[in-house]
Amino acid sequence: MTVRPDNRLADAPMRPVECGTCGACVLVRKASWEQTSVQWSSVARRRCHRRDGLTLCPQLRASIETAVLLGAVPVLTDPDAASAGEDQPHAHHR
Amino acid sequence: MTLDADTGVRQIEAEAAPTRFARGWHCLGLTRDLGDGKPHAVNAFGGKLVVFRSADGRINVLDAYCRHMGGDLSDGEVKGNEIACPFHDWRWGGDGRCKRIPYSRRVPKLARTATWTTLEQDGMLFVWNDPENNPPPPEVTIPRIEGIGTDGWTDWHWYSTVVHTNCREIIDNVVDMAHFFYIHGGLPTEFKNVFEGHVATQYYKSEARPDLGSGEGAKILGTTSVASYYGPSFMIDDLIYHYEHGDQRTVLLNCHYPIDANSFVLQYGISVEISDAVPRDVATNMAVALGDFVKMGFEQDVAIWKRKARIDNPLLCEEDGPVYQLRRWYQQFYVDVADVTPDMVDRFEFEIDTTRPREAWLKEVEDNLAAGRLPRLVGINK
Repeated sequence: MTVRPDNRLADAPMRPVECGTCGACVLVRKASWEQTSVQWSSVARRRCHRRDGLTLCPQLRASIETAVLLGAVPVLTDPDAASAGEDQPHAHHR
Repeated sequence: MTLDADTGVRQIEAEAAPTRFARGWHCLGLTRDLGDGKPHAVNAFGGKLVVFRSADGRINVLDAYCRHMGGDLSDGEVKGNEIACPFHDWRWGGDGRCKRIPYSRRVPKLARTATWTTLEQDGMLFVWNDPENNPPPPEVTIPRIEGIGTDGWTDWHWYSTVVHTNCREIIDNVVDMAHFFYIHGGLPTEFKNVFEGHVATQYYKSEARPDLGSGEGAKILGTTSVASYYGPSFMIDDLIYHYEHGDQRTVLLNCHYPIDANSFVLQYGISVEISDAVPRDVATNMAVALGDFVKMGFEQDVAIWKRKARIDNPLLCEEDGPVYQLRRWYQQFYVDVADVTPDMVDRFEFEIDTTRPREAWLKEVEDNLAAGRLPRLVGINK
């Protein structure tokens, strides 16, 4: 029984973002300004100083928002999202 | 293939439910029921178990079928520290060994049956299931629930029912925000998930729905719920009800154990915090009333599960939760420990955008109010 890939990632994969505070590198996806997915690796998790479980680290959130403003992470509801990702010409086609 | 090349029609795909049962701690029920000194039969993990508290005070869980001639030990009798088979009185100890055959000089070699490691905690009996037969690692043990068993919280209000589908369906609920509106009459305002290691958490805030009617008693403004699965089957939900006069803390347990690949026993337990404002008798009544509400919720889920198709390739929109990532987490319990991959246990966080769903749902609520009708909810009036 293998688990399949998320159909939503086919057109818009997760993008690397480095935390400006601890340097942890995670994968991020934003379907809208309010939606955020974060995939950690064990290496990134060890770098992060924060151990509290439930809420997204505020420093990492700030880094993600900076990455969005710099165009490194497209926000899929944004009509300009297509130009934000270098190899994502169809990212806005939801 | 998911998409038919000629027609462009998306196909539902589903492998058969796994015949292997999840590695992990499973709650079989309350010790006040199972630990009364009588043998109890439990159909679980594709077989039948016998649960009995022996004279030494321990609760033991053994395969129910006697290795002698197959008698059902759950029809037998507890004699001292052993369970005696009703067929020929063979005596089996909690360690799975045959201790004595009253009519024989000695016990034959290899007189050993299957056992499950048990844990008694917070009024519940847990068993460790592991297809690889390893002992339970301490880091995945079920956490203690603060307050339970003290004067500050009510005893468990408990409910148990059999559901005829594979237990993956109930796991999917962890990430399914929209079903809380359509199935359970909730109005989600915040929703997020975190998966890490053997724990999967759902954070869920909701407002009361004005189109559901006022109901009895004090008005509930909303709820805040932090619910975590510790392993494949045991969820602890710290559930706070927000009333006009203040908050009421409760704990809702949501747990199950598989009977076989296509059925499971679903159980819930509720405990309510006792306070000056809410003395024990009021809190106990509240636990019963909340239990009726939760029971209705489960029945609504069951009404869907009974008719739905198993689906390995759900087609998700961006306002859905992380179904695939949850199933990836859940998969760790169905493979050997050596085959658990980092992506099954690495931390994953998902915050759902509730703005668009709320617009749609508030519109629906307004329409219901304007038309003076109750929402149609499956299992209730639909």
